[in-house]
Amino acid sequence: MNHDGLGTTRLGPALFATAALLLCCPPTASAMHISEGILPAPWAGLWFALSVPFLIWGLRDLRVRSEKEPMFKSLVGLVGAAVFVISCMPIPVPTAGTCSHPCGTGMAAILIGPSLTVVITSIALLLQALFLAHGGLTTLGADIVSMGVAGAFVGYGVFRLATALGVPRWPAAFLAGLLSDWATYAVTSFELASALHGSASVGHTFVAVAILFCPTQIPLGILEGLITAAACRFIETRRPGLIASLKQPGGGAA
Amino acid sequence: MFSLFSDFFACRDNLLSRVDPRAKLVVATAMILCVILSTNPALPFLVFLTCVAATLALRIPARLVALRLVAPMGIVVALALLQSFMAGGTPVCTIPIGPWRFTATHEGIRTAVLTASRVCGAVSVVLLLSLVTPAHRIFHSLRWFRVPQGWVEIAMLMYRYTFQLLDLTADLTAAQQLRMGYAGVRRSLASMGTVCGTVIIRSVDQAVHTHEAMVLRGYQREIPFGPMPPVTACACGGTALTVAALLLLYVAIGRVG
Repeated sequence: MNHDGLGTTRLGPALFATAALLLCCPPTASAMHISEGILPAPWAGLWFALSVPFLIWGLRDLRVRSEKEPMFKSLVGLVGAAVFVISCMPIPVPTAGTCSHPCGTGMAAILIGPSLTVVITSIALLLQALFLAHGGLTTLGADIVSMGVAGAFVGYGVFRLATALGVPRWPAAFLAGLLSDWATYAVTSFELASALHGSASVGHTFVAVAILFCPTQIPLGILEGLITAAACRFIETRRPGLIASLKQPGGGAA
Repeated sequence: MFSLFSDFFACRDNLLSRVDPRAKLVVATAMILCVILSTNPALPFLVFLTCVAATLALRIPARLVALRLVAPMGIVVALALLQSFMAGGTPVCTIPIGPWRFTATHEGIRTAVLTASRVCGAVSVVLLLSLVTPAHRIFHSLRWFRVPQGWVEIAMLMYRYTFQLLDLTADLTAAQQLRMGYAGVRRSLASMGTVCGTVIIRSVDQAVHTHEAMVLRGYQREIPFGPMPPVTACACGGTALTVAALLLLYVAIGRVG
């Protein structure tokens, strides 16, 4: 792969052409999952290897908390199913004239913590790959890293930081939803750019892919943040203390 | 998307649904590996055509196949265009539009076609697998392949209750739509937030009921996975032959390019 600098000069026209085509005939925007077959085998293996320690961490967390509270597995499974259903809800994205769907990882991280979010995200991604053709089996590792790891840890970190700074829960939930979504797309862009940059540089390809995602992902991130905030506010109104209790062993049984 | 998420067709009886799910998983994995390791687009396209033909031969509606292929095709179009125009090399054609000149290169188009073929091939394999294997059999097989117990348990619970929560979501959304809950952006967002919150609260309530029901049935911290029937000689032989044929195809076609 020689770096002949053509990637730089071709970036503008390529972006223009691709953006024009996508805007003229918008597909369903579900680009948060890297499709099966896109990543070359070494890259697929690398991302899978990177996701494994987080999965082991999540499963260890699950085992420890299940020993303290026998109901915990049912709770994680059911909350996972709820987040999966929410992530399947279509959201109209006005700027792209298409529909997309939220990641749901920010909300899941707020509810059950980041390590368990990685576990339920891996399952949700497998189900989506099998039954919706979103994502894939070989790209599961890359998708877990972008959605499960980056999305969950950024969302959870932002939520904890904001609440620690005295921000009320629902604006903190908005920030968690927004930034977890954008973190997912930033990592997805990097994963695509690092594997598919060809003779162009990784940096230029990353910028190109990230810019291509912008028309859908900037508004989608804001919408996801708003929905996360609205859901948290609703739960706080109807079941005060539920969010806090879910993250503790024995919680959620109320 | 709600209507797409169904394993209705996987539960039908046909030639492929009767095959041992472990054999199907091994063959599918081998096919996907051959596809993504292939440097010649002919092999992935061959796999794609074979899988789509098999899907249609099993009387799976073409519309469902097309709908499931829409999402991956969107990202393929974007990446193919980027690769065609961004890669350096021998110019093939230049399209001047306004101040820009679009130059597609031979190398770029070749890479784009290879990427597109890999996506088509690999997605079609997963599509066929999901249309002839019910999810619970996939999970049971994964446990047989020593995937951690906790992961498989959560997967089975998630899968089991996804349909119930999807129905709840559909009912709530329909009720809101009838009452103008989606008239305007503000009301839409509030309505969606209410649906999300309700689904989460309902899932927590359901978790209590589910756990109680499982305890009544003898649940002791782990869902017991009964032993799977031994892999038959026929399934073993069929798997070995299919994988060998795939390897031969990969050597003969996939590495030429």
